[in-house]
Amino acid sequence: MYALCDVNSMYASCEKVFDPSIRNKPVVVLTNNDGCICAACGIAKRMGIGKKFVPYFQVKKELEAAGAVIRSSNYELYADLSQRMMDTCARFAPDINVYSIDECFLYYPKQSSATQEGWESLGMQIRKAVWREVRLPICVGIGPTPTLAKVANHAAKKIEGFKGVAVLDTKNIRKTVLSKMAVTDVWGIGNRLGKRLNALGVNTAWELAKRDPTQIRKEFSILVENTVRELNGEVRHSWDTVRAAKKEIYSTRSFGERITDFEELRSALASHAEIVATKLRKQKSLTSSMTLFATSSPHDTEGYFRKSYFHHFAVSTNDTRNILKVIEIAMSQLYKPKVRYYKCGVGLMGLQNEELFQYDLFTPSNDNTKLMACMDTINARYGRSTVHIAAKGFEQKFAMRRAFLSPQYTTKWSDIPKIIC
Amino acid sequence: MLKFIPIKASAGIIGFESPAAEYTQLNLDLDQLLIDHPSATYIGIAEGESMMGDGIFSGDLLIVDRAQSINDQDVVVANLNGVFVCKKIDKVQRCLLSSGQNLAPYFLKEGDEFQIEGVVTRSIRLHRPFTKQL
Repeated sequence: MYALCDVNSMYASCEKVFDPSIRNKPVVVLTNNDGCICAACGIAKRMGIGKKFVPYFQVKKELEAAGAVIRSSNYELYADLSQRMMDTCARFAPDINVYSIDECFLYYPKQSSATQEGWESLGMQIRKAVWREVRLPICVGIGPTPTLAKVANHAAKKIEGFKGVAVLDTKNIRKTVLSKMAVTDVWGIGNRLGKRLNALGVNTAWELAKRDPTQIRKEFSILVENTVRELNGEVRHSWDTVRAAKKEIYSTRSFGERITDFEELRSALASHAEIVATKLRKQKSLTSSMTLFATSSPHDTEGYFRKSYFHHFAVSTNDTRNILKVIEIAMSQLYKPKVRYYKCGVGLMGLQNEELFQYDLFTPSNDNTKLMACMDTINARYGRSTVHIAAKGFEQKFAMRRAFLSPQYTTKWSDIPKIIC
Repeated sequence: MLKFIPIKASAGIIGFESPAAEYTQLNLDLDQLLIDHPSATYIGIAEGESMMGDGIFSGDLLIVDRAQSINDQDVVVANLNGVFVCKKIDKVQRCLLSSGQNLAPYFLKEGDEFQIEGVVTRSIRLHRPFTKQL
């Protein structure tokens, strides 16, 4: 059996752990640089405020009127509380797989059998322990496959009658829950797949589960076939499922403050380039083309400025030095004096597998794989950017803007909570 | 952030091994001694004089354990109407006791927001204040 433990509105819930004065208030958390809303607590959701991905400035007045508490993302706090939550969950199972900052799968081998009630009471125990010891509200979904554990977790959160714990052990209960779920709520079924499935008359998760897996494989892919099989209780996902290599890699970020300086823009692009190049080598790929962009804010009063530059490499590469060289050429296109830059980024596209790459007889690759491997090893061991290419500059002036940041209660001595005696 | 190199430097020539080598121990670790449930424990700072009778003074560090079961007369941290307070709990009379001079107990009323946030398992006095920047 698999149990999926998932924190309800993780970021907003974390904000309430060490600030009891906001526990009964609507709390809304903003993304990097306070740009958009990324989380809202249950109270805020019930009031209908704090919709995800909405730019903050658009709803600022509305949130103020509702008395919402606004917070910047406090990653230091969330990471620490996440670790505590995972440690607590891990006590309840022989094996754990941390899936994301707020979700983990617990695994129970075949021999650990229990009744439906037994699994339910285990789920309740985990939920209670995490609330008592970490003060985070979680939901627990238990099922015979990872996909069904995800389904159960969805049911525990969204379907009435489950109080934070759902167990999909028997066929009957599986049918009831799957019939109430849209097919796009199933793990791995996105909107695009959902539309194609809808066209075939598959609207609910139950209708997908009833399909013939081999037929589904022919019409879609082995991934969808696996989903169908998992919905019927056959385990297809393994713990160490490696995700398919990405076809594009992007690194973009808005600046903490608007920048107007040539050197600052160049060094920001250079750090993005280093990030994508490291990721590229990690998945053992080469890139054939690269895009760079820099923009002012569309919300600024002065004219909107957006420039991008596309570069095609003569020979596919994953050498940071080749990727950085493009910045030198691109800067003359991207930089214009007096523009107040708001965001920039670097993307690599047309990625190829390093091992299968066909080299060119007349234009040999100048990649220095040994140098890059050495740089990656040093940085993996001693922290990112211990060794880097000098083009990036040494001082990072584009740290995140976090105007509504709460204290780092558990990771900084000067921020530990005050307790009134 | 720079991490430490996890290997010991060693000279090229090996002499006699220290006869004490086999008895090498880890350094004393205060966390290990003072904290029973690391993932359920947090550290706070006391503010105020109402718990001096229990040896808790303003500015003391409090180690608070959420995983402990709560016994009558335990020193606890609680959320009382949106504020973390440190008091002794009287489970029988449902009240919070102070141990400073002439302080009346606080009886929980209907409408009070109240949750116990953990047991104060240790408190640390700073007989000399910190000189380092925290």
